Amino acid sequence: MSFRIIPSRNINALRQLHPNRNRLAPCATLFTATLLTAKSLLEAPTSKLYPGHVPISPLQRGILAVGSAFTALANPLRGDMVAALGETTGGMFLERIRDQMLLDPEGRRILRERPVITSETMQLDKLRELPDGTFGREYVRFLDDQQVSPDTREPVHFVDSEELAYVMQRYRETHDFYHTLTGLPVTVDGEIALKWFEMVQTGLPMTMLSSFFGPLRLSHEERKRLFDIYVPWALENGSNSKLLMNVRWEEWFEKPVEQVQRELGVQPCPQV
Amino acid sequence: MSTRLLSHTTARARITLLANAKKHHNHRLVPALSCSRFLSTHATPDSSETEPYDVVIVGGGIAGSALACALASGKATGTQKIALIEAFDLSNHINWKPRADQYSNRVSSLTPKSVAFLKRIGVWSELDSSRIAACNGMQVWDGVSGARITFDAAHSNDRSTFLQQVFADAPQSPSSEQGSDQQSPLAWMTENLHVQYGLQKQMLAHKNRGVQLDIFEKTKVQGISANVSSSSPQESSSTDISEWPVITLDNGKKLQTRLLVGADGVNSPVRSFAKIESLGWDYSQFGLVATLEVDHSTSTALDQGKGVAWQRFLPTGPIAMLPLNNGYASLVWSTTPKIAQDLKKLPAQDFCALVNAAFHASPADLEYLCRNIGPDGQPQVDFQKEIEWRASVQELESHAVARQSKDAKPPKVTAVQENTRAPFPLRMRNSNSYVEDRVVLVGDAAHTVHPLAGQGLNQGLADVECLARVIEQSLLSGSDIGNIHSLTPYSSERFLPNLAMLGTVDKLSKLYNTDFGPVVWARSLGLTAVDNMGPIKTEIMRFAMGLEDVPSSAARR
Repeated sequence: MSFRIIPSRNINALRQLHPNRNRLAPCATLFTATLLTAKSLLEAPTSKLYPGHVPISPLQRGILAVGSAFTALANPLRGDMVAALGETTGGMFLERIRDQMLLDPEGRRILRERPVITSETMQLDKLRELPDGTFGREYVRFLDDQQVSPDTREPVHFVDSEELAYVMQRYRETHDFYHTLTGLPVTVDGEIALKWFEMVQTGLPMTMLSSFFGPLRLSHEERKRLFDIYVPWALENGSNSKLLMNVRWEEWFEKPVEQVQRELGVQPCPQV
Repeated sequence: MSTRLLSHTTARARITLLANAKKHHNHRLVPALSCSRFLSTHATPDSSETEPYDVVIVGGGIAGSALACALASGKATGTQKIALIEAFDLSNHINWKPRADQYSNRVSSLTPKSVAFLKRIGVWSELDSSRIAACNGMQVWDGVSGARITFDAAHSNDRSTFLQQVFADAPQSPSSEQGSDQQSPLAWMTENLHVQYGLQKQMLAHKNRGVQLDIFEKTKVQGISANVSSSSPQESSSTDISEWPVITLDNGKKLQTRLLVGADGVNSPVRSFAKIESLGWDYSQFGLVATLEVDHSTSTALDQGKGVAWQRFLPTGPIAMLPLNNGYASLVWSTTPKIAQDLKKLPAQDFCALVNAAFHASPADLEYLCRNIGPDGQPQVDFQKEIEWRASVQELESHAVARQSKDAKPPKVTAVQENTRAPFPLRMRNSNSYVEDRVVLVGDAAHTVHPLAGQGLNQGLADVECLARVIEQSLLSGSDIGNIHSLTPYSSERFLPNLAMLGTVDKLSKLYNTDFGPVVWARSLGLTAVDNMGPIKTEIMRFAMGLEDVPSSAARR
């Protein structure tokens, strides 16, 4: 065997050959690592990535997540807080949605072309001329009834990735299509039911928080209706249907709602 | 026949002399034993076709050939009558004429321990140094999280006094690196065919200097039986010859042997003959090997990534690129059986694009691309375009990251050598026992391992090194080399280390065969921690380099 242990004096001799050998090197490394960790808590990990991006440090992120969660629970109408909660907690769940999109030809096309949904790109006037019962006509009817517009969505601020910020944006922008698709009303329990549906679909923590804590604010009757009718429907349809993030809604407007539902594997929600 | 028997006698006599000269403690036993054995050999009446041997090695692969060389080069074992049986034509190996622009797809990494052994049996000096690539660094990372561990021959010496001790006279690369003994590589990459060539050359050299080494090539083993016709009365009185295994060859010859060595691979017939069970499982994975051409100027590693082995763990299995010389590299891509078959059919250009993507792109992208290989092997989407788009997205993100990661990039693959893409199934096996009376297993016949750590061949060589030593010792002490008690030291020395390696590699493979969030998080934390803990990293390196038992073997010698 050609390996052999050198007597210790030889090791010392070898050490002298390396004057720069520093016995304290491991300690110094540890110290630097601790410093780096402390520093990285207070430092935003990225520079500004996209218009509207607000780079924040992990510490700020933590505070914002907790703060927005409580504010949103106290007042669910604070859309900015709900949005902040979704963005600060989204991280790896957004990555998962992005990966699912990357696995699907339609999802890839959306990520590549990055369509945005505004009243301009949707050409709402044209949609109003579509026959009754088509997806586009019912979508615009929903917008008109609720007196909302696709332009009122909160822009993304706190997602530290340009592509994931788009995923978040797209998720938000397509929300109204879900109402059209499922027929869920814009009532508190309807929205919570939709959050259950989205939770099964996306696994985003914000949808979970809304699903579990949202019902606390409901009346007894509403809660009973939610858990007896809406939640079972949401769980079943959310898991059976195609991933709705991979749907290019803009191209489905001319189809009747029933056909869209059939093709995506969604049953209309039970009417109450 | 008679001359053979004569030489057999002289061989015995020489051993006796040797043993006496060495003043071994039980030297008085030796003459008596060898005498009785000789008589019994002599007494076999109808052995006109049955030729007696001391050692018959079934399987002329690297393990079998290395054992033949090791035995032939030993002082006592070199006097034994040895046979090597190989089903294929070994002349391919001796006539091996490598071209500088072609590499065989089957490449192995040889650890310092294996190289030291090959040097000792005279094989290393037969090899062509221009066909051996020193591996000075390893980059291993998690394809899901990006967590990375780097091994560096130069740094390892800085960090660990132990490695300095070891490398003070560790084997040197024959290609004489400019670095002194401080820069001893982590491993050496070379083609299996090259090692086979060296072994074959050395075997012939041994033959020429008079070692009784009979090589039966292009010969298959038809059957192995424990007993010849034990009807003859005088045999029952003789001690053990009738119990020696008889190997029937397809050319009609019969060999009777004191010790039968199974070096005949995963589905070892010798193991079946000895009724040794082998446990383990098939991974639902195939490995795809190929010879690649790479462009070193595209690598961001030190010295343009020359001599660096790259391995990325993907949820479908690890992909590894091992350095060869002249801008070539060897690929081992473990993946699902379907993808492995698809990759083989893919047009060369798309294949290269996909290999490059496999070292950079996200697992989701890879899954999408692999799904889009048509049944005819043609890509159903534009691979180049898809990969470029994703790379540009990744590029955009990485620019804005404040603490930019300095992860070294592997060199770009520019071409794949024709007809080198070959898939093979991956499995894990370990024999319940490596020895039985008159039978011993080495190499893949004894154990088979997942290739992710590049340890299979090195384990086999360690087996051979140990077995040759054990046989030598039992010859010197005058015991019967085929007796199970003489073989037990081999088994007890090799079984646990092999099992430990098998278990470690198996667990690693399972740990990385998922993209489940918490598991990814935990393993990434662990990997990063180990990467920052010098001493632990050194221990891992020593384990992988086959140096884990240095103190004991140093003490032995």
